[in-house]
Amino acid sequence: MVQAEVLTPATADELVAALARATPHTRLLAGGTDLVRDIRRPGHEPDVLVDLTGVREFAGVRLDGDLLRVGALTTFTELQHDPLVREHALCLALAAAQVGSVQIRNAGTVGGNVANASPCADSATALTALDAAVVSIDGAGVTRTRPIGDVLLGPNRTSLRDDEAIIEFAFPALGPEYRTAFTKVGSRTAVSVARLSAALVMRFDAVSATLADVRVALGAVGATAFRDGAVEALLEGRPADAEAARVLADGCVAAVSGSIPDRPSLPYKRHAAAGLAYDSWNALALCPPCEPAWG
Amino acid sequence: MELLLTVNGSLYEVNVHPTARLLDVLREDLGFTGTKEGCAEGECGACTVLVDGKAVASCVMLAVQARGKEIVTVEGLARDGELDLLQQKFVEYGAVQCGFCTPGMLMSAKALLLANPVPSDQDIRVALAGNLCRCTGYSAIIAAVKAASGQEATPLMELPGAAEELAAEVQTDPDTLAAAREAAEKIAGLGPAPHGEA
Repeated sequence: MVQAEVLTPATADELVAALARATPHTRLLAGGTDLVRDIRRPGHEPDVLVDLTGVREFAGVRLDGDLLRVGALTTFTELQHDPLVREHALCLALAAAQVGSVQIRNAGTVGGNVANASPCADSATALTALDAAVVSIDGAGVTRTRPIGDVLLGPNRTSLRDDEAIIEFAFPALGPEYRTAFTKVGSRTAVSVARLSAALVMRFDAVSATLADVRVALGAVGATAFRDGAVEALLEGRPADAEAARVLADGCVAAVSGSIPDRPSLPYKRHAAAGLAYDSWNALALCPPCEPAWG
Repeated sequence: MELLLTVNGSLYEVNVHPTARLLDVLREDLGFTGTKEGCAEGECGACTVLVDGKAVASCVMLAVQARGKEIVTVEGLARDGELDLLQQKFVEYGAVQCGFCTPGMLMSAKALLLANPVPSDQDIRVALAGNLCRCTGYSAIIAAVKAASGQEATPLMELPGAAEELAAEVQTDPDTLAAAREAAEKIAGLGPAPHGEA
């Protein structure tokens, strides 16, 4: 077995120096919940392994003016309980709470979840709905900021270069006029990989009782999490009522059908999408609970 | 590479492969074989240990990532030859059958009780959701954790007739009972198993 060299930077400067040594066979290690399994496969041993977890300045959540900044090394357990995330980006806390088990949430990080680029990554769906920007640093010490949609390219594929590490996610902190939700469907109620996930973000105008800045993100139905612009446009300005729930559900079903037209799981996912849309709509608590009309 | 690890309160210096998992180093280099390898992908929880008081799956964590942290394995629960209260309740409630999941169950439950000394049934279920058990049906485990927190354990389901008879037989036969207790205590992690044993 190849003896990988493990680098353990403790500061941003040390991280840059470590990244400067990256080759195409270098891997960046955060919580390890996906990577450790991966690098143990024969032929997948890295030449250099950079353990990011010692760089504590890239862990934790802070409010920076109107922006919420979430360090890439923040674990799901930390996200789940973080008061700033709960106040300004509830759907991300809800997504974190539904990742794996306690053991996985204690180790797994949001940066690792995005960099691993599983189409089922729960945090990616929430971050997509939150319009998150990905902040990275590379081996030359250059930081870059780009939308999460530009980073996630496909299953286990990102636009991150070999010497580029995600250090932070930044997005507008949502005020109290916003409601968010995250729901997912898996093979069981807990410790489950998402077969379909949805994150909703919308502003509720209490005077007119209508919806604005509507964002609908779906995960685990395509190559990456994506926003559904068509259903967002249909919901924009609409009263928050049972009809809006139906529009959302129809939109999600159409998005799923369009995204995986040839997949054997389509009949199941069409039904699941409708149920999930209603669950997430009801989680917003904008009107009395609505029920889908199956049939 | 050289690594300093604190396990069950003692400092160990080990020379490990750079990508060795924490599980491998605990079991093979340090002989803490109470920590089990099940699925090797972070799903089953048999390898659960505490790192800085939090339950983690040691099969998906590299040993190097535990440097400078406090690691507790199932061997660290008993004190002076006396089982931890949690272990005692596992024995008392029959929460141990084949025993393979037990060390992981105990460590997940321990992490829960450290953070939340008075958990609800639901809290216990969430805390143990990452630990699979194919024998007990979980009810006895949840009852044992509840009891260890000083709360009244949720009553188990009524045993069906045949099982009830068997239970009565076991309870009236002191030899069988003693043997079962002994096995359960051993499995529940009273002291480390001799090096090399699973």
